Amino acid sequence: MSVRPAAPFDIHDLEPEAFLAEVHSFEFWFQAVEGYLTGLTWGHQPDAVEASFTEIERDRLITVLCNYCVGETAALEGASGLIAIAPTHLAKVFLSTQVADEGRHLEVLLHRLRDLGVAQPEAEVERRASRSILLFRQRLIELVASRDWEAAIFAQNVILEALEFAVFHSHAQTADPITREVLQGIIKDERRHIGFGENELGRRLATAPHIRARLGRVKSELDHLVLDALEETMQSIATPQDERHRLSRAYLESVERLGFAS
Amino acid sequence: MSDPLLEGVEAAAAEKPRQRYLLEDTGFDEVPKKYRKFYRKWRGGGDALAPNEVICPVCKVVIRSSRELRPGDRVYCMPCMSRLVVVRSEHGTLEAHVAY
Repeated sequence: MSVRPAAPFDIHDLEPEAFLAEVHSFEFWFQAVEGYLTGLTWGHQPDAVEASFTEIERDRLITVLCNYCVGETAALEGASGLIAIAPTHLAKVFLSTQVADEGRHLEVLLHRLRDLGVAQPEAEVERRASRSILLFRQRLIELVASRDWEAAIFAQNVILEALEFAVFHSHAQTADPITREVLQGIIKDERRHIGFGENELGRRLATAPHIRARLGRVKSELDHLVLDALEETMQSIATPQDERHRLSRAYLESVERLGFAS
Repeated sequence: MSDPLLEGVEAAAAEKPRQRYLLEDTGFDEVPKKYRKFYRKWRGGGDALAPNEVICPVCKVVIRSSRELRPGDRVYCMPCMSRLVVVRSEHGTLEAHVAY
């Protein structure tokens, strides 16, 4: 009797339920972040050498990082609040990993501000943060407090995370080596966050299309805050005009995939 | 409207056995080690997709399979947790669409 060799394992042969259980698990998260965070200190190689900045460059970078800190604080507060109203245990466990990610992001960004000579980073964040990103944070926290799962996930894991993913990716292309490495580590985490948000909402919209109108109103309310914050950041890091258009498109792509026109 | 000529080519291709690929780790470090060979980074303008690869529209990572991909195949993007379906684009290339 001849025995045919077993076909090699292919991840794409998994049943959808098995795939979802795997990628939402704490075990998956732990092994994933181990791959790119092991050996780093405050999000970068411990022996990385600081670049030289002009005073204007340093000042602009500090302002941008302060705004990033507000975004990360919003996501940290939002994700931790959402655990209580998450509809499934998979979503609760995933959000617990997101809380750990967001806490790390805030910590490494505050540490980067200290590296750049900011003596009291938290006070500096309060002083420099843009009005639009502060308003976004306030609105997100209100949505979480109102226990509106779909609207809060839309605001946080689709709108905010899509903005951060696009901005950090662009900024990392031109940033000094230490800031680049810090941002690249954050981007790797953000892939999970944007994917969770888009897929969670996509599944809910498929089974409960009536929530679409409510999410459309949330998008209309938050879009201008996000696009204002994007514009302010792009000005601070001197992003060329064509790249600004590309970033705006990248932000809008994810909401369009969910069926929301720009 | 579908192109009957293209449908004929698609049907003929579907009858051919699929090419198999031996995947190796490409240094992609965003998923646990056992899954790393199924993903790689898109290297920009000079990069090209192999017949067993598609780009994730959500997070822009290249998804790899151990066999040639064809329209209708299901693939998973672990870095962003997405389930996708392979489709033939209007340009004749393979692309992945999110299946919620």
